[in-house]
Amino acid sequence: MATVEERVKAITANVLKLNIDEIKMENNFTADLGAESVQSIELVAMFEEEFGIEMDEDAALSVQTVGEAVDFIAKVCKEQGVDVD
Amino acid sequence: MGKVKKKHRLVDAKRPNLLNDIFPYSMPPRISLEGSAIEHIDGEPVEFDFGAVKDRPIYISDTTFRDGQQARPPYTIEQMVHIYDLLSKLSGPNGVIRQTEFFLYTKNDRETLERCQALGHTYPECTGWIRAVKGDFRLVKEAGLKETGMLTSCSDYHIFHKLKFRSRKECIDSYCEVVDAAFEAGVRPRCHLEDLTRADIEGFVLPFIDRLMEMSRQVPEEQSVKIRLCDTMGFGISYPGAELPRSIPKLIYKLNRECGVPSDRLEWHGHNDFHKVHTNAATAWLYGCDFINTTLFGFGERTGNPPLEGAIFEYIALKGDLCGIDTMAITELANYMGSIGLPIPDNYPFVGRAFNTTRAGIHAGGLRQDEQIYNIFDTGKLLGRPPRVAITDKSGADGVAHWLNEFFGLKGEDRISKIRVHKLARWVIDQYDVDGRLTAISDQELEAKAKELYPDYWEKYKSGK
Repeated sequence: MATVEERVKAITANVLKLNIDEIKMENNFTADLGAESVQSIELVAMFEEEFGIEMDEDAALSVQTVGEAVDFIAKVCKEQGVDVD
Repeated sequence: MGKVKKKHRLVDAKRPNLLNDIFPYSMPPRISLEGSAIEHIDGEPVEFDFGAVKDRPIYISDTTFRDGQQARPPYTIEQMVHIYDLLSKLSGPNGVIRQTEFFLYTKNDRETLERCQALGHTYPECTGWIRAVKGDFRLVKEAGLKETGMLTSCSDYHIFHKLKFRSRKECIDSYCEVVDAAFEAGVRPRCHLEDLTRADIEGFVLPFIDRLMEMSRQVPEEQSVKIRLCDTMGFGISYPGAELPRSIPKLIYKLNRECGVPSDRLEWHGHNDFHKVHTNAATAWLYGCDFINTTLFGFGERTGNPPLEGAIFEYIALKGDLCGIDTMAITELANYMGSIGLPIPDNYPFVGRAFNTTRAGIHAGGLRQDEQIYNIFDTGKLLGRPPRVAITDKSGADGVAHWLNEFFGLKGEDRISKIRVHKLARWVIDQYDVDGRLTAISDQELEAKAKELYPDYWEKYKSGK
C-alpha cells in the first residue's frame, strides 16, 4: 500500500496539474504550488475520498504545507480507525 | 507632522464588542443624538435640541399619487387603491405615514379618492392638491376633505417669470385671497412655498408667512394654515453654517421661531437634483419640521423626492422602535410596483434586487460565518429579504456555499460545508477560466446545476413532495 505521503502527493499533483516529482513536503499549497480557492477545497474533498475520512472544514483548510497535510491526515485516519501505512 | 492633542490607550479585549446597543441587528442601527446643535443665525448662536426628536411626534407624509405620479405614466384607479391600502399597512396603527395627497380635477381622480376613502383606513389621511384658484375649493369640499395643498410659489423666478405677477405685493394679495376662500369653505389650506430655496426669504417669504399666521388667528386651530417648505430644485443644504436661502436649518428656524409657525404645521418637500434628498429631509426633522413629504422609492419630478421607505427606516432609527410600522409592506410595495412596470434599479437601497447581494468571495466568506458581518440589519426578518450572494468568478467556494445553502434553505448543522460544494464551485470557475465567460451566473443556471449535482438535497428540499 502506498504511504500517506505518496497518496497525498499524487492527489496534489492531480488537482493542481503538477508533476508529482515537483512536490516537496515543505511546499506551501498556495504560495509554492499555486493552489487557488476552489483547488484548496478540491484537495480536501479528494483527500477525504481517497482516505475514506471526514475532516473538520476549518482545521483542514488551515493546513498550509504538504507535510502538515500528511501529518493531519494520518492523525485523522488514526482517530477514525482508518488503517494507513 | 500634526500636533498630538490627546493620546489614546488600547483597550484590549478577548471577546468581541459588537456594539449591540447601536447595531442590534434585529432593528436598523440606532441614531442616538446627544446634546444640542448650535447654528449661528444673524450673528447669534441658536440652540437646537436634536435629542428631543426621539420623543417628539414626527411624521411622514406621502405624495406618491401627486408628485410621484407626475414622473411616470398614470396609475390606474385599481393600482392607486392597492398602493394606498399597502401604505396604510406599512404606516401601522399609529399613523406614522400620516397623510397622502390626491389630485381632484378629473373623474378618475375623484373616483380614486372615493375608493381609497371607502377602505376605511384612518391613516394615511387623504388630502387634496389644487392650484391656488378660489373656485377649486369646491372640489375639496365635494370630496369631503379637510385639508388641501395649494401652490404659493415664492421665488421671483416663479412670481415674475412663471406666474406673471406685476409685483410681489400683487402676488401675496392673490395668494391670501385664495387662503381666505379656503377658510370660507371650511378647508385647511396647506401653502406650498415652491422654489423656497431660491427665494428672497427676508423680503418676501417671511412677510408672507407673517400674514398667513395673522389670518390663521381668525379661524379654529384645525383650519390654521400649514406650510410646506418646497425645495423644488434640490438646492437645499443641510450643513451647519450654510447661508439662506439654501440653508435648511435657517429656513426652519425663521419660519418656526421667528414667524411662530408650530412644528406640527411645517412640512419639508425636497428633490434629488444634487443627491441630497434623503439627508435634507431628515435634517428638516431634526431642526423642527414635524412632517417630511415623500414618495414611494423616491419617484417624482425629475430626479425624484425623498424616498418614503428611506424615511421609514430613518424614523425607526431615530425612535429606536418600530412604532407599529410593518416594514414587510415595503417589500410588498416594491414587488407590486415592479409588477406594474416601475423600474427599481438593482442596487436601490432596501428594495433593489441586489441591495443586499454580495459578489466578492471574501465578503461571501464573512457572510457565511455570520450574516451580520456583511448585512446592514436582519433584512430577512424586517423585509423578507435574507442576504444573498451573486455568483461570479470572484465568488470563490464561500460564495457558492452560501448560495447553495440559501437555495435549499439550510440552517445550522444542516448546512452543506464548503468542502462539499467543490464540484459546483469548479463548474462556476470553469465558466470563466475555461469557457471565457464575462457575465454573472444566473440563479436559473445555478439551480439547474444544483439539481444535477445534489439530487438528494433537491429531492428533499425542492421537489415539493
